[in-house]
Amino acid sequence: MNQAEISKLVSQLRVRVNPRLRKLKSAGGPEARLDKLRKTVTALIKHERIELNYPRADESRMYAERLISDAIRYGDCHRETMEMADFWLIEKQLVHKLFKVLAPRFVNYSTAYTRMYTAPSVYPEVVKRAVLELRGNPYPSLVPDMHNNRNLIHNVLLDEAKKAYRTQKYEEIAAKIDAAEKSVSEEARK
Amino acid sequence: MMNNINVILARSMVASFPRVATCSKRLTSSLSSEAVRQNHLFDIEQKKQKESVGRIEKIQIEYEGPTDKATLTMNKHISTPFDCAKHLGERIADQSAVALLNNDTLWHMHKPLPDSCKLQFLHYKIPQPTAVNKIFWRSCSFILGAVANAAFKDTVKVQLHSFPSPNVRSGSFVYDVQLDLADWKPTEKELKVLSIEMIKFCQQSHAIEHMNVSTELALDLFRNNTHKYQQIPDIAAHNNGKITLFRAGHHIDISRGPMVTNTNHLGRVTIANVIKLNTDVPGGPIYRFQGVALPKSIMLNHFAFGLLEERARNLNPARIPGSQESFEEDNSFVAQVTA
Amino acid sequence: MLSTTPRLALSRQLKNFRRFATATTTPAEQPVKDKSDTRKNVLEYRQIYPEFLPDPKIEFRNPIREKLERSDMIARRANVDIPEFYVGSVLAVTSADRHSPGKLHRFVGICIKREGCGLRANFLLRNVIDHQGVEILYDMYDPTIKGIEVLRLEKRLDNELLYLRDALPEYSTFDSNMEIEILPEGAPVPVNEIKVKLKPRPWLDRWERKNLKGVQDLELPQRFYDRAKELETPWEKYDLMKQYMRTVPEEEQVEIFSEVQTHLHRSGAAQKLKRKRTFVKPTKLA
Repeated sequence: MNQAEISKLVSQLRVRVNPRLRKLKSAGGPEARLDKLRKTVTALIKHERIELNYPRADESRMYAERLISDAIRYGDCHRETMEMADFWLIEKQLVHKLFKVLAPRFVNYSTAYTRMYTAPSVYPEVVKRAVLELRGNPYPSLVPDMHNNRNLIHNVLLDEAKKAYRTQKYEEIAAKIDAAEKSVSEEARK
Repeated sequence: MMNNINVILARSMVASFPRVATCSKRLTSSLSSEAVRQNHLFDIEQKKQKESVGRIEKIQIEYEGPTDKATLTMNKHISTPFDCAKHLGERIADQSAVALLNNDTLWHMHKPLPDSCKLQFLHYKIPQPTAVNKIFWRSCSFILGAVANAAFKDTVKVQLHSFPSPNVRSGSFVYDVQLDLADWKPTEKELKVLSIEMIKFCQQSHAIEHMNVSTELALDLFRNNTHKYQQIPDIAAHNNGKITLFRAGHHIDISRGPMVTNTNHLGRVTIANVIKLNTDVPGGPIYRFQGVALPKSIMLNHFAFGLLEERARNLNPARIPGSQESFEEDNSFVAQVTA
Repeated sequence: MLSTTPRLALSRQLKNFRRFATATTTPAEQPVKDKSDTRKNVLEYRQIYPEFLPDPKIEFRNPIREKLERSDMIARRANVDIPEFYVGSVLAVTSADRHSPGKLHRFVGICIKREGCGLRANFLLRNVIDHQGVEILYDMYDPTIKGIEVLRLEKRLDNELLYLRDALPEYSTFDSNMEIEILPEGAPVPVNEIKVKLKPRPWLDRWERKNLKGVQDLELPQRFYDRAKELETPWEKYDLMKQYMRTVPEEEQVEIFSEVQTHLHRSGAAQKLKRKRTFVKPTKLA
């Protein structure tokens, strides 16, 4: 293969795509590999946040992104996309969720649809763990919210700086208006 | 005039800053005889206080973390919250700024615990960090004092005066220092060098130690600093005759406390401006050193931090020290509200 | 994006594109198109000019080289008309032969394969001449090519027609004096649904395993089909990432084709003009 395939049009993924796909140690070959990924993708769409081993999380993240981007791109009337959703989502009620809940949620996103964190692993285990979640999920955020908490020291400082800047600007405007009024009244006197 | 009143500075800066011919290197190597004397007294007193504990009694500390709980058996009047934190894990010990006893008392991390209590640790990213911010700001002022004290050439006489109650909203932390320079306006380079000195001092990771001493000892410690010497009786009168001292590295200062655990909690630091104040304090002009800093754990992009630096250049509205007032604003004993 | 089935929408877009391409005679008269229209047209280009898309293999990607190659391709297209054609179209290629200087060589044949991207794009023509199968592999941007004519513009059911090598010779025999067949204006490219009869085994390849659409019943013993069934990989079409890694995403395609669009459009308009002119004065076969 030396030429791009043109039969199908796909949207660009917003996550990093690895140069080659992982085999995930599947005894049953590529079919079993897809089966593994299918379970993970289904779980992700169902629970919206899952914790699992890093390689499988990274791999299934790309597949979940593809599935959602196709659902957004082609909608539920597209036969091939529907077949794809039918294959990837083992629990069939999730097909409805994909097209009716997730696609409208993500349609205006300019970022990736999923988020992945490396999770801590308890000492004797050396396996790298990860948390994979859909954006816009109902759970509390995993990382501290550094932006919305206005009591954090940098936010306090920035808010005050903003206030000070505004006051200064208002004063300048007021001074300008005063000067203009003064000149007008002087002219009137003349 | 300007040639002989420059700030002194770190060896690395001498090449780019040729006017500073000699470098006292106080921060790095030789200490002034005054600092040696003060530290000697401090060490003796510390040793004495440790010995005075006598028979060791055990206390139960109930730790309440955000997710876990633990009960620790510690030594009365010896163990500090920092010791408890070290038992609980390196991460807690590193990130905690201050301890909270029984949900109401803020306790310095290196201050021995007097009794059984409930213990919590506060850091900079908790949902309600106002108290921690204040403590951080106070520590910044304290460290600024250490830097201002050590950063000048031997020819410049430096006497620390005081720092007002910490007010994060004012946009800068402050230390008022008496310098025998008639009319000094720091250049950009000098401010930069001062900032670098402060960063270096913070990076040396000095634990900020705490000690309560008697008025007599405090007077002896600060006998060469006329301002502190005058302030001490007033402070003692409002604090049951005791003076609270803090030490970071070789710098000792009076403050109500508490402070943060370690100087390495400071991340980005800038000394933004030094402004001559219009006061009638005898002995020479008072300069207000102003800076802005953020904890190490809080990252901010350089543009936003630039805005903060810009704002910190304006004169801080905190109360200006004067000779008339009987009660000096002795390092945050006065709860002072500034707009 | 598309509410109806893609094939329908695709053909409609294609029609729009064709109408547009024939309606404009000179680049100066180009009307201002809105953005979404440009995007649609751009996406149609991928069918007509697939060689402008880079090799999707990440190891081989190099944006600067790709850009340089594209500018070289445009420069070559300014000198020679490389028309729109597909696998299954009948072409006549006139080229200079280094062994007979000063003479031109014209070869007529059916395009049985199109491969490669960028300056290395090539196509394979096949014809049967004097009962002897002849195939010539042409580099599309080879400077020795003096002209490419499309005698019959059509598609077949398969993306590669290599099975014509094992088919009866009449399926790949084309008259070297063949007349240009003109399509009605604005019509989509017709798909020739002819089913080819293969010669009995032995073959050059195991065609029963290739899932071919354009061949008649292969008339093999059942064990061949069983083995082919064993070797099938039906899950592969569900491998979304494999699919993704074989294509160039839409955003990149838009970027590439909007870069070369004006040049391609100019040459495309010239092509249509030429085709019209030939239609005015047809020559009769002997």
